[in-house]
Amino acid sequence: MPALSPTMTEGNITSWKVKEGDSFVAGDVLLEIETDKAQMDVEAQDDGIVAKIIVQDGAKAVQVGARIAVTAEPGDDLSSLDIPAEDNPSPKRESSAKETPKEQSSEPPKEDKPAPKHSGSSDATKKPSGGKAQKQTYPLYPSVQHLLKENGLGKSEADKIPATGPNGRLLKGDVLSYLGRIEESYAAESAKRIASLAHLDLSNIKVAAPKKEAPSKKTEAATEAPTSVSEVEIALSVSLKAVIECQKRVQESIGVFLPISTFIARATELANEDLPRSKTSKPSADELFDAVLGLDKIAGRKYARGHFAPQITAMPLASLGARAFVGKKPDILDILSGKKSGPRSKKVSTTSGTTAIAPLNVFSISVPKGDEKRGQVFLERVKSVLEAEPGRLVV
Amino acid sequence: MFRSVVPRAAPRALLRPVSQSTFCAPNLYFQGRLRRGYASEAEEKDLVIIGGGVAGYVAAIKAGQAGLKVACIEKRGSLGGTCLNVGCIPSKSLLNNSHLYHTILHDTKARGIEVGDVTLNLGAMMKAKETSVSGLTKGIEFLFKKNNVEYIKGTGAFKDEHTVAVNLVEGGETEVRGKNIFIATGSEATPFPGLTIDEEKVITSTGAIALKEVPKKMIVIGGGIIGLEMGSVWSRLGAEVTVVEYLGQIGGPGMDNEIAKLTQKLLTKQGMKFKLNTKVMGGDVSTSSVAINVEAAKGGKEESLDADVVLVAIGRRPYTAGLGLENIGLETDERGRLIIDQEFRTKIPHIRSIGDVTFGPMLAHKAEEEAVAAIEYLIKGYGHVNYGAIPSVMYTHPEVAWVGQNEQELKAADVKYKTGSFPFSANSRAKTNLDTEGIVKFLADAKTDRILGIHIVGPNAGEMIAEGVLALEYGASSEDVARTSHAHPTLSEAFKEAAMATYDKAIHY
Ligand SMILES: Cc1cc2nc3c(=O)[nH]c(=O)nc-3n(C[C@H](O)[C@H](O)[C@H](O)COP(=O)(O)OP(=O)(O)OC[C@H]3O[C@@H](n4cnc5c(N)ncnc54)[C@H](O)[C@@H]3O)c2cc1C
Repeated sequence: MPALSPTMTEGNITSWKVKEGDSFVAGDVLLEIETDKAQMDVEAQDDGIVAKIIVQDGAKAVQVGARIAVTAEPGDDLSSLDIPAEDNPSPKRESSAKETPKEQSSEPPKEDKPAPKHSGSSDATKKPSGGKAQKQTYPLYPSVQHLLKENGLGKSEADKIPATGPNGRLLKGDVLSYLGRIEESYAAESAKRIASLAHLDLSNIKVAAPKKEAPSKKTEAATEAPTSVSEVEIALSVSLKAVIECQKRVQESIGVFLPISTFIARATELANEDLPRSKTSKPSADELFDAVLGLDKIAGRKYARGHFAPQITAMPLASLGARAFVGKKPDILDILSGKKSGPRSKKVSTTSGTTAIAPLNVFSISVPKGDEKRGQVFLERVKSVLEAEPGRLVV
Repeated sequence: MFRSVVPRAAPRALLRPVSQSTFCAPNLYFQGRLRRGYASEAEEKDLVIIGGGVAGYVAAIKAGQAGLKVACIEKRGSLGGTCLNVGCIPSKSLLNNSHLYHTILHDTKARGIEVGDVTLNLGAMMKAKETSVSGLTKGIEFLFKKNNVEYIKGTGAFKDEHTVAVNLVEGGETEVRGKNIFIATGSEATPFPGLTIDEEKVITSTGAIALKEVPKKMIVIGGGIIGLEMGSVWSRLGAEVTVVEYLGQIGGPGMDNEIAKLTQKLLTKQGMKFKLNTKVMGGDVSTSSVAINVEAAKGGKEESLDADVVLVAIGRRPYTAGLGLENIGLETDERGRLIIDQEFRTKIPHIRSIGDVTFGPMLAHKAEEEAVAAIEYLIKGYGHVNYGAIPSVMYTHPEVAWVGQNEQELKAADVKYKTGSFPFSANSRAKTNLDTEGIVKFLADAKTDRILGIHIVGPNAGEMIAEGVLALEYGASSEDVARTSHAHPTLSEAFKEAAMATYDKAIHY
């Protein structure tokens, strides 16, 4: 079962578009698959023949990586083909799981894999190590053409010579083997050796001993961490009245309940765009250079996206006195000023919906010193979007 | 009243901006903006990439093109990683311009061009370098926008298997979740034990591309590609450069013995000095200059060398500091490389690793190949990198380039091979250009004639090697190359003639 998206884990087979024994060319639709998200056609990546269909039409919840069919190379004799056993279905191994007897000779003969996943070689290498004769669809190499001519062999003869080149291409050495000028197996053996060089050598990996401590890491972190300059808290009161009204309207008209958090999240997204640049980020050499050329105006380098997420505190309003406040944290100012119990704050519950939300809230963020302006712009944008036209956030 | 404070963390967690609700077709105005997919803490990406070097940015663009929701985290403040900021690009800028300077100083007179006083303006040369770098890194930022890649400027660290906490460059923190995560954090210069890098007197390549003045004397520890390139730059600009190498040959392990010897001869002619088979024992930086103690690698004669600047170029090592690998139990090997399988997966299958931080040669184009293949594995289930056909280039003058195996490797593997070579001194274009040093050398299987390796030292070798890579990728024989027409008069005719010399005989030699 091929993974048709990075997240797909299983799928249903709606129907096969080919039968056993059918030939197909790259791009032909082989079958139709259905996932929870969509229905999709699976196209052939290469030319081939359907040797066997293993999972039939209508099968449900077939795991990604499970073998659903076996294909063979064009020209293969199906009756003489033995179908290798399947190893465990594994995710995202579409091609190798599906097209088993196909050439995989490019895999190194044997590799000690340290890491958990085994890539496809195991279920694939049943064929003799030598090359296979096949129709040469590409132009013949000049050396090959020359040798054929020289020895009175026609172009059609080329298709009968076992080919060891990349993707079944016929090499000079193959013709020399065929003509008996060099040992028959030599070209194939050297092709195997060369193919093994095509892969990373992951044998004999020695795992590093677990590090006891990395003091250097700490010092590095200390120097590299964006200087945690003193932070300043900025706050702005925002009325969520319009939001609550809008929420109600949406629910009444289309029966969908939108959490307040959705509105706030969207407002935050928007407000974070193109904020005045942080004072704490030094302009890079590039930027200075661009400034000289005046490119900064075009590219909008004065602005940079923010990553603010406002902290929201409900305003304790007299009119809401009936509500029980859950947040028991006393205000630090109150403690300092010796007051017994000050106004209490309450966190906005973003999931439980309207009942818990106070119409007037304080949105606050903390910004590095020097960036107050940036923070202020952000908050004001959040405020204006939420108070003026919250509907536009969700329509 | 406004200051009534709630514990910071709690409301944050409760009030994560959610950019996708189950319902809603945002109107067009907002759709465009919301869909740009900027960071919002709770949003889960299809792919999060840590590191915006060649490996990371190429993967990000490729993923964006494939329609994945992708974010790329880079702490440097600009994209392109080592390669664009402090590696390939700035070094090549200095190599090119120092070569021009050197040519004008020593060579143009013989060509009939008399130039008055030639002076070096190092500041302007550095500025030219920065222009190239900034143009290119900017370009990548543009490509990110074009391909809907979210660029998060900050330092990423694993919080759990799907969450990366980011310490933002502009201050503050955020976090991103990814269904898949790529680690592409690259490499750093390996320090020399006992010598503290200050990037002024004791420098790595990063200091070597930014020296404020030309040192009188410079010692390069390590005769690999980076050491020789940077050594060449400062030697051309007037420094007296001595390269100290532990092994018996320069160029590192991949360079063919014969090519390495020839290269050393050519660089010596240009004024660089070499101490091979020599071990650096330690150094003293207490005075205004630096003193380096060396002795013969096999033991014996000790000697002290002094210089204004010492370049430590003994190699690079994978960089994973501060990444929080321990939080998710990922392991590296003894040399610090992240352990992966053939499909770049770590032992946590949705986390992959590519580029310098993992196995294979530390080269930008290798990182790029892996980036593309890793994305293909992710979305299609298969990918392609042919590690047997990755070229290496050293951008000295003349350049040195190779692909495939060298003679010492073939001997070790007990492969019967034949060689064919052709000198640029017999190539018409090289002669016309008065730039005739170097050779092209083919190694082909003795029986099948299949090309096993191609090694070039000579003008433009780095461009010429592309043909060799293609030949190797297609399993070509030297005869195939020899029977392919090459324009006259070009340097590439030397390539063809070397192929002829391998399977038959060269015409012009
Ligand atoms: C002087 C020099 C010259 C070179 N010349 C060449 C050349 O000519 N040709 C060639 O092919 N190669 C060259 N290289 C090698 C080339 O630069 C590397 O192979 C290439 O950069 C590797 O790319 P990468 O993406 O794997 O790693 P890098 O380019 O190192 O990128 C990794 C990035 O990840 C970032 N990062 C690390 N940790 C974190 C974190 N926790 N959070 C966020 N970001 C993080 C780093 O800031 C860095 O930008 C040269 C190198 C040097 C030093």
